[in-house]
Amino acid sequence: MDAVIEINDLSFAYEKDIILENINLIVKPLDFLAIIGPNGGGKSTLLRLMLGLLKPMQGSIRILGGSPYEHLSEIGYVPQNTNVNTDFPIKVLEVVLMGHIGGKRPLFGYGKEEIACAMGALAQVGMAAYAHQRIGDLSGGQRQRVMIARALCAHPKILMLDEPTASIDVKGQKEIYELLKRLNETMTVIVVSHDISVILEYANKAAHVNKRLAFHDISNKKETFHTHGTDDHFCEIELLQMLGSEHCDTCNNDTQTRREEP
Amino acid sequence: MIEALGYTFVQHALIAGLLVSLAAGIIGSLIVVNRMVFLAGGIAHASYGGIGMAVYFSLPIFLGASVFAVASALLIAQLTLHKRHRIDTFIGLIWAVGMAIGVVFVDLTPGYHVDLMSYLFGSILAVSSSDLYFMGALLGLIVLVVLFGYRSILAVSYDSEYARLRGIPVRFFYTLILILSALTVVIAIKVVGLILVIAMLTIPVYIAERLSNTLWKMMIISGIVSALFTLAGLALSYAYNLTSGASIILVSAASLGVFLFLYRKG
Repeated sequence: MDAVIEINDLSFAYEKDIILENINLIVKPLDFLAIIGPNGGGKSTLLRLMLGLLKPMQGSIRILGGSPYEHLSEIGYVPQNTNVNTDFPIKVLEVVLMGHIGGKRPLFGYGKEEIACAMGALAQVGMAAYAHQRIGDLSGGQRQRVMIARALCAHPKILMLDEPTASIDVKGQKEIYELLKRLNETMTVIVVSHDISVILEYANKAAHVNKRLAFHDISNKKETFHTHGTDDHFCEIELLQMLGSEHCDTCNNDTQTRREEP
Repeated sequence: MIEALGYTFVQHALIAGLLVSLAAGIIGSLIVVNRMVFLAGGIAHASYGGIGMAVYFSLPIFLGASVFAVASALLIAQLTLHKRHRIDTFIGLIWAVGMAIGVVFVDLTPGYHVDLMSYLFGSILAVSSSDLYFMGALLGLIVLVVLFGYRSILAVSYDSEYARLRGIPVRFFYTLILILSALTVVIAIKVVGLILVIAMLTIPVYIAERLSNTLWKMMIISGIVSALFTLAGLALSYAYNLTSGASIILVSAASLGVFLFLYRKG
């Protein structure tokens, strides 16, 4: 299969406010796509459309060649705001077990294989030792890892994360991204973030969403953002502006011209 | 006080107290973790409309209250799914209109007027055997639903959006929780009255929430704590000739105060 996600001419509006307009996007297997853009620009809405939580007003979204709803088990989703509902009396393991989908279930309780699988997912994110702790007792970064484990539980082909590093300290953020990089070896990763560092270090594709979408292949562009001396290092605002334009200079394989601008 | 146990109405009161406490513990836990306390309050007060209509049409009170409470629950479920941002306004409306309907129907009923107070503050000493069957059947139903639907109920309560992405019929379970809440409210009205029912559904749950790391433990602890409060409240009400519902709630509130004090220290 050529594309894991194919979006054609997609538009979406809440009531009368148009949020997304004429979006086209192709995500290939094992891509690490960063969806960036200003607040209210439609990043999360685009993600929710890809998940099938919202229906497009116009245009189409194909996930693995079908509708999002046909491929629920192949999409792992990590929602925004894992700091809500922390009073809820629930153990880490039970949260991860929620990631299982349909299939053979015991009449009540959880099956042995399901528990083994959930423990495996927890081990993958380095949280196995916390399986029997109450979710509310964990730190924000730890909770985020648990949510990733929950998404991994169903062995997804695509992992989608909405602002995974919001409200996590810098060290925790780095750990989350390293984890995503590792997971990216076996699955497609899509991250909604206003955190530009993710593009610099980890993503190979970037989609800037502000009602419209500007797509950039940045797999060979790391040096553009990164490896030059500190003098011509792009500041984040400059970078955002550049990625926001439909045709950024770096995408024409001409990194030099960009650097020479004042 | 032991000799009181010989009276049938005292036995009925004790059994009713236990059945309702266990139901309230389980459903109260679901109401609290789903943040539906205000919603349950609305259903409780709206069910008075059913009581008034049952009196007017000479129907069984339980039946009238149950049908009205379930109808309000379904209405609220429908509104929650479509007009979530205005839900508190609608609940307030259902709360008040339901009560108003009840008052008007009681007014219209010719002749003897049932004692309004017994529905506001409960009438646990007037529980009939058929009431007990109704309570027992409802508790049985609640236990079965929670036992077999536990995973889905947990998923819907904890993170309904994620549950939907796992293919769980979220609307169905949300509506089911609301219907069971409505029916529990109706049987709890018999014990503590509709004004105090919210306290019965929340105080034991609040204590249990602090003591449990899973939802099912919370349900069991709430049920036990609620039963203890109910029995203590009944004993107090018998000994000092006080209104039973109010005694139960004051015992609960005082215990909560002590619990919070100890919990802070320990």
